[in-house]
Amino acid sequence: MVEIVKAEEGGEILDIELDVNLQRRNLELAEANRRLLESFGVRAIDFMGSVGSGKTCLIGRLVEALKGEYRIGVIGGDLTTTIDMELLEGLGVPVVQVNTGRECHLDANLVAKALEKLNLQQLDLVFIENVGNIICPADFPLGAHRRVAVVSVVESPYIIVKHPLTFQTVDVVALNKVDLAQAVGADVERLEADIRRVNPKLAIVRTSCKTGLGIQNLRETLKL
Amino acid sequence: MHEFSAVSQMVELVLEEAKRRNAKRVLEVRVSVGKLSFLNPEQLRFAYKVLSEGTILENSRLRIEEKEGVIQCSKCGYKGGISVEDNPYYHLGIPFLRCPKCGGEASIVEGRDFSIKSIRIEV
Repeated sequence: MVEIVKAEEGGEILDIELDVNLQRRNLELAEANRRLLESFGVRAIDFMGSVGSGKTCLIGRLVEALKGEYRIGVIGGDLTTTIDMELLEGLGVPVVQVNTGRECHLDANLVAKALEKLNLQQLDLVFIENVGNIICPADFPLGAHRRVAVVSVVESPYIIVKHPLTFQTVDVVALNKVDLAQAVGADVERLEADIRRVNPKLAIVRTSCKTGLGIQNLRETLKL
Repeated sequence: MHEFSAVSQMVELVLEEAKRRNAKRVLEVRVSVGKLSFLNPEQLRFAYKVLSEGTILENSRLRIEEKEGVIQCSKCGYKGGISVEDNPYYHLGIPFLRCPKCGGEASIVEGRDFSIKSIRIEV
């Protein structure tokens, strides 16, 4: 039991105004990342989505479509493996793996460290693949210019309405695996209607990594 | 969602401030949590209780002020509360970024912060 000292027996009581924003540190680091990227004329795009939504595959498709015109680097977040980044390295672009070990999201500090490992002078574009997770990355801006949520239509009919705040922190939603919609009975129109209800500003692109559908549209939406 | 890491950062900061002012104890910490942040007050309290044990924060009071979300419409300029769908299926209600006045597209301008407002210490 802790001994409680009554105020009158103890010392003076002081109220101290602090007004410290606890997310500020991540925000400041994110802004520093943005400035660093811009000083080299590099644009960055952050992809977040559940495990298996198709982030790596989508980034791979974009790399294939863009590598003739842009010098691209990729930063990938993963708890434990290098599987995704090895796949993308196979496309002939520099990759940096960030293994978070335990953390369920990338933060601006981890991305700052990863950016140190890329030769930004030799790049025009950086894709950042967040840890597979549709919730946690939303609260941690990384300094990227655009944020894309990747949602596969096979995940859940309620994926959007169950994560409204997530879809209020991104710029674009890629509705991926649309080639499977019919097979699993997914209602793509309803998912799109849910997205527009939660955040009418969002750009929505239907994609399929398997068939290549929508990759050109995604590219245009990202102004690439 | 990140209540433990958020509170552990908060406790660290309060302990630093308390040490700097030679406080014997911290009696109260007042924080503000935006309703559009991913932090849940109930879980914040639990994390605070656990993380303050064995420090000069132990048994202090955590006062949580919840701050309403504020959105601004890019079409009609509406600035105010967010519209929430009252659907019994979703018992917490789904916040929408659609302007409640004109149906235009709105952005969040307040309600995502987590801040320490003030602390009460005994010196």
